[in-house]
Formats: sequence, C-alpha cells, structure tokens
Amino acid sequence: MTVKQLTHTQGLGAIIGVVIMLAAFTMIDFSGWWTRQTIANVVQFTAILGFVAMGQALVIMCKEIDLSVGSVYGLAGVAFITLEPTLGVPGSLLAALVIAALAGLIQAIAVVKGQLPSMIVTLGGLFTARGIIYVWTGGSVHNFSEAARNHPVTRLLGGELFGIEAAIFWLIAVGLALNLLLWATPFGNQLLATGGSKESAESRGVRSDRVKVAAFVLCALLAGFAGVLTLCDRPQTHVTLGELMELEAISAAVIGGCLLAGGRGSLVGAVLGAFIVVSFRYELIALGAPSSWYITFVGVVLIVAVIFNQILARRLGHSV
Amino acid sequence: MTNGHPLIQVKNLDLYFGAFHALKNVSVDFHAGELVGLVGDNGAGKTTLIRVLCGMHTPTSGEVYFDGQRVEKFHPKLAIDQGIETIQQSVGLCDNLSIARNFYLGREPVRRILGIPFLDFTTMRDKSTRVIRQFGLRDNVSADDEVERLSGGERQSVKIGRAVEFRNRVVIMDEPTNHLSVREREHVNELAVQLKKQGLLVIYITHDIFQVHKLADRIVIMENGEKIEDASTSKMTAEQLEEVIRQGGRVVERREALS
Repeated sequence: MTVKQLTHTQGLGAIIGVVIMLAAFTMIDFSGWWTRQTIANVVQFTAILGFVAMGQALVIMCKEIDLSVGSVYGLAGVAFITLEPTLGVPGSLLAALVIAALAGLIQAIAVVKGQLPSMIVTLGGLFTARGIIYVWTGGSVHNFSEAARNHPVTRLLGGELFGIEAAIFWLIAVGLALNLLLWATPFGNQLLATGGSKESAESRGVRSDRVKVAAFVLCALLAGFAGVLTLCDRPQTHVTLGELMELEAISAAVIGGCLLAGGRGSLVGAVLGAFIVVSFRYELIALGAPSSWYITFVGVVLIVAVIFNQILARRLGHSV
Repeated sequence: MTNGHPLIQVKNLDLYFGAFHALKNVSVDFHAGELVGLVGDNGAGKTTLIRVLCGMHTPTSGEVYFDGQRVEKFHPKLAIDQGIETIQQSVGLCDNLSIARNFYLGREPVRRILGIPFLDFTTMRDKSTRVIRQFGLRDNVSADDEVERLSGGERQSVKIGRAVEFRNRVVIMDEPTNHLSVREREHVNELAVQLKKQGLLVIYITHDIFQVHKLADRIVIMENGEKIEDASTSKMTAEQLEEVIRQGGRVVERREALS
C-alpha cells in the first residue's frame, strides 16, 4: 500500500484514533491497561464486535442499515446452545448460522422487494428476534454440558490458540476474505457502486437488489457467527445477549470511516472502530469508573469521530 | 442505408407512471446503420422512450422487438448483454469509484484464482487509460482517480469512450453534447457518424434540431409522449422540422383543450 492509498483510505481516521487512544491509556493508566487480563478481554470482545461491525459496514456501504444485528447475534447464540443437546456442537453451529442467515434474508427481501426503509424493517427485526429469544428461552439461562464445552469445535472457536484468544484468528481470516471480496471482486465493485449511486449502477446492468440482499445476509451471518464465538468462549446464554450491540456495531463502523451516505467505508476501519469502542469499556473498568459511564464515552467518541471523518472526507474532496 | 427488417421495432407502446401517461401509443422502427435524431421539448417522452429501449422502464402495454425477437423482460443487464449501449445524461457513473472501476461496472473482467473471480485490475487500468487518453482527458487524470474529480465534459467523455469501447449493435446517446466545449462537441458528433458508418444503429437525442439534422438520416419528433413526426432528413429541412415542433405542440394542446 502506497502512502497515497493510505491517506485516501476511509479507515485513516480510525488508525489515528487508535494511536491517540493507546497513547492516552498508556499515559494515564499504564499498569491498569497493559495487563494480561485487560488485553485478553479487549482482544476477545474486539474480535466479536469486529465481526458484527464488518457486517454492518458492508450494509452501510450499500446505503442501508441493519439495526437487527444485536438480536440476530443473541438469537444465533441461543440457538447454538439450546439446539446442541439434539444436534450436537457442529449441527447446532450450522443451525445457528442458518437461522441468522434466514433472519438477514427475510429482512433484505422486505427491504428490496417492498422498497421499505431498512431502518424500519430491521427495527422490526430487532424486536421480533428479541421476542423469539424471550419465548424460546422462557427467560431462563442455558448452559453447555461438560461434553459440549470440551468438544473440539467449541475449543477451536472459543479457546485459546498459541496463548491468544482464538476469536482473533477467526477475525483475521474472515476479515482478509471479506476485504478481498469487497475490493477485488466484481461483487465488491457492484456493492460499492450500488451504495454510491444505485441508479447509475442499475443503468450498467448491476442487479442492485441482489447485491443488497447478499450484503444483508452476510451481515446477519457475521452477527450470528459472532454470537456462536461468544458462546463458545462463555457457554451461557441470557435473554439480554447482544442487547444494544447494534448501536455499538454502527458506532464502530462509523468511527471506522463508513459514510452513511453509502459507497465509502473500510472493513479494517470498522474493526479498529470496534477496538476503540471495546477499549473504552475495559479501560473504564480498569480505572474503576462506574460502568454506566461507558455509554457516555462511546457517545462522545462517536461524535468526535464523525466530525473528524467528515473533515477528512472533505479534505479528500469527497462529497459527503 | 436500411435493410430488411428493423433492428428495433416499437409497436403501440404505452407507459404510465401511476396516473401520468408518459408514452402514448408510440410506434417507431430503427434500422442498423442508421443515425436517428430523436427530438422534442422537455417532457416530450424522448428519455422515457429510450429508457424502455435500454431496459430501465417496462412498458405498460405494447411490444418491442429486437432483431425480430419480441422483448419479454426489460432489464438494463439484458439490454447491455444484447449490445444496446446507452449514454445517459445524469446517470451512468458512480462518483465514489475510480474511472477504471466505472468503466467496467457490470461487466468486470476477471482472473480466476482457485475458481474465485478476482477483478483483473491490469486489464481494467490499461484499457480505460487508453480510452481516456484518446478522449482527451487531462494528462494528470489517471484511470485510478475517482470520477468525482472529473469535469462535466470529462464525465461525458468517459461514458462515450465506454460506449465506443463496448459498442455492439446499438448506441443510444441522450443529449451527449451537453456540458461540452465546441471542440468536444464536434468530436462526439464525428464519433456518432463513425459508429453509424460501421453499421451500428445510433439514436441521438437532443433539443437541437439544427445540430442533429446535419448528422442524422432520419428525425423522429416527440411531443407530450406521442410521436408526431418521423421523416427522412433528405425530405425535410431543419426549418420545416422546427416548424413541426412548434405546430405539434399547439396541435396537442388544442386537442387536450377540446377533450
């Protein structure tokens, strides 16, 4: 990557943000921040939020939004745990991903065929999926059996590899594949075109409806996979699993340089955005601040990031 | 000039947008190797008609035949696949993408690695660079630059260059010389004639009857969604055709007032 390309990437703001944040945390709380426990937590939850944020970024780049990802994340997690006794670990993993993909597909079809705003459709999806979680679990907590915890698949997804949380390896592998998909394939070109100007893309024969459906399904799949990863690491469900995660994911994508106007964004930026959001949560815990401050900090960071990214985009001559 | 059956045949075409009657019983033939000027005032239905031909609108009733085959489904992809290339006024380029990416949008060249189709960046860059140089874009504009950077004329050049590069059987130009300098305009008009001489059908949409009369074999005039004239340029002068546009408007207005 040349210097010119680097300064033109939408993720530049997030890169600068990460550097400033790490410098600040190191200065104000060196001993609290750079501990094995904090880093392990931050890595694990960055990976999980990173998956959801990458999916969200793809949808935002299509000029749509998906508010249902937190509920889909929770639903996939609940499906994974509750179906395991009947289907086994690999079977329930597959079932969880299919359920997530279906949730994305149904909402996407409503958006493109019904020509409805995705904000409303996925808000409906948020409530619907959350309601299903409540009914399905009956509000009770479910656990993995000892055998399921020790299943090789569970350990491969939720354990540690080379002393580092396994989730981060999955994030890197999937993130690389998604970057190739977005920037180096015809599908990616058509996705960016659809977000940039749907009418122009369609005039060139791009089936923008299909592109959007694919983006929503990918987004739901990534959220579902993140849910499974979480449960493999901590195999216990709760009805609130994934609540407010949609807002964290959107924040991460926006901090990472995705423009809600569509057509521009960065998957690496979305992951770095997730890193920033998660880091604030654990640094506040490490500082002993009341955890309720966390949301306020995310809000402030989000607004600062948006202002910064807008200035950056204007400097690069983009219409925003 | 014309031979046998028409390449595009439009029969009794009607198109409604809700209650708005945008095309009214339009029938017109277009032949290969012909340059047809499609003329009329704003809102006459010129752009709507060509949007049917390039698959962006599906007619409410009536038939369209392409090369003798009835068109059943209307979609831009199908039209492009059949060799109908359209240069539209306001759409066709995505500002957020590079020239090379825009150039090949919807028909990206790929290089397969392990069966996965990856964009063939070398082909995309080389071909689009050659075309933008040929069409006189500034020297400091590269194929990797986003379209956002381009001037109105340069955008038009990219669209025309793309149409020429992928020319197949039909090139439809919707006000191709808008926003262009005098020299650029001449260049575009020369290209239109060249394409026709190569045996393509060129449909040239404009307000300017005098400009297109010099190029076209035939002029089709539209007014309020209807075809009101269809005449060879050897039979009618530009002045006569201009008079038709003027009178035609009144004829339609009078008819509407009566009904």
